[in-house]
Amino acid sequence: MNPARRHFGCVLCGLAWLALARGAAAQGLADRFLVPPRYQPSAGSDEQGLWRQMDRVERELKTSRFVVRDPQVNATLRDIVCRLGKEYCSDIRIYVVRTPQFNASMAPNGMMEVWTGLLLRCSDEAQLAAILGHEMGHYLRHHTLDRYRDARDKSSFGAFLGIGLAAAGAGYVGSLANLALIASIFAYSRDQEREADEIGLELMSKAGYAPLAAPEVWQQLIAEAKAGTSERSESVMFASHPEPEERLVTLREAAKRMDSGKGERGAERYRAMLGGVRESILHDELALRQYGRSEVVLDRLLAQSPDDGLLWYGKGEIYRLRGGQDDPARAIEAYGKALAAKGAPPETYRSIVVVELKQGHKDRAQAAFDTYLKMKPDSPDTAALRMLLEQ
Amino acid sequence: MARLAIVLAAAALLAGCATPYTLVEPKRQTVGGVISVEPGMKWNKLGSANVKGKVEIWTLDGSVLNTLVFFAGVPDGEPLFVRASADQDKTEKPPVFRSAMNPLEVQELLEATVRRYFQTTLAEEANLRAEPVAEGRGFRFDTRMVGRDEVERSGVFVGTVRNGKLYGAWFQGAKLHYFQRYLPEFDRIVASARLVGDAAR
Repeated sequence: MNPARRHFGCVLCGLAWLALARGAAAQGLADRFLVPPRYQPSAGSDEQGLWRQMDRVERELKTSRFVVRDPQVNATLRDIVCRLGKEYCSDIRIYVVRTPQFNASMAPNGMMEVWTGLLLRCSDEAQLAAILGHEMGHYLRHHTLDRYRDARDKSSFGAFLGIGLAAAGAGYVGSLANLALIASIFAYSRDQEREADEIGLELMSKAGYAPLAAPEVWQQLIAEAKAGTSERSESVMFASHPEPEERLVTLREAAKRMDSGKGERGAERYRAMLGGVRESILHDELALRQYGRSEVVLDRLLAQSPDDGLLWYGKGEIYRLRGGQDDPARAIEAYGKALAAKGAPPETYRSIVVVELKQGHKDRAQAAFDTYLKMKPDSPDTAALRMLLEQ
Repeated sequence: MARLAIVLAAAALLAGCATPYTLVEPKRQTVGGVISVEPGMKWNKLGSANVKGKVEIWTLDGSVLNTLVFFAGVPDGEPLFVRASADQDKTEKPPVFRSAMNPLEVQELLEATVRRYFQTTLAEEANLRAEPVAEGRGFRFDTRMVGRDEVERSGVFVGTVRNGKLYGAWFQGAKLHYFQRYLPEFDRIVASARLVGDAAR
């Protein structure tokens, strides 16, 4: 990763909400599901073979150190999936993986992977439900199996497919690497993305979530990608789908048609869910040093929660780490806002020490250090900060 | 296929599978023309085909088990190291070293570099403290990383900034056995370190 280069499945399945809902109304939602509840592939079929490979990957993923074990996060994601598709609740298993990019994916055996970068970027439960619904759409329409069969039938693809599945079975480079290999096999077609979009939007709407949250996700990703252009960023989100604006418009139209104005957003519940992991997710984001992108993400979240001290601290860190001409002043201003808001981490003072020292303000640095020591007497940084202050 | 290549390269850590090795004898050696050290045992110097940067890499048991990375005068504006195979047009700009960085910022830079190179979120640098390096002022901190192969690695970085350039050595090994076993050898190398050539001026 850059964890970013690790795709599995569909890169939020590309979020290809193309031509959404245009012809979907003719059939009932459940009639379109090719996979019944508690589905198992028939014995001896190619599908069963594929499932077994996925099961092996999943066994490794279960014990991976990259999987987030936070009970509240896992319980909430499970609740959302069950709310979206009650009958399929026991068929889908969710793994939250600590990776700072925006992605989610679905394997044919019901193994769903959600990256923490996606959790950071969602504003509320409805936005997350839009993504999880989309992934369930792929599962319910048997898309991975279709892609597998399609790929298998293409001789030019055969060798690569063989490598991918052999790796999945052998497990020689670890489960996450295996996932990446398999991912390359299952790049969905545009039609499949469209189907998943239609189903996802219907699932979330029927579950009582605000459908307009779905186009918002897409809009946010476009804004972020544009901010990253100056950093010559490869966009994971847009890798296989070149017309994001067109999809945004289509999706927005479809969501408006479904919107009753009464849909739930679940913003507070969403923030509460992330309470135990926000700091580490934010740290992972900042460590990418994608300053422009991170700033767009944090600004958006701050517009929603202006009294969030952790987010202001994150803004300060962006400026401190970027270190441009006006950045120290910007950082100090953001740290000030963090401390005036709720939930600023003690590390805010640690960062103030670093910035003030670089600005030659030793007294201010010393004062921040003294406060930091009081707040976090056992900090592993104490010796380091003392060293800086004494230099 | 590009993705496949990246993942496999990450698994092979700081070296490619076909990387040629050169024997490093336990006698005084010059690294990158600027650092002089005296190892106490035989090391293997790796060809740096997969790594780009002002670095030289040694190993005892293979790069998956342990690596010693020398930073031979990283100048202002350059990354510590990047994947040589990375397509610069398609990847995010790597974080770079700045001459004005203090030791804490160097520690943060190594963490960001490691996370990026090894495609991991499980990398931490901590416990920064002052330490004399190459007959002058320097610093040391501990590193910890879990790679995509799920193996936990411990490490230690020792460095100094002289005339705006970063000189240092980072030893990392599998936490189980390979780090602790060779830590005294690393310390011996660090104790023997002197800056030579342009770096000594």
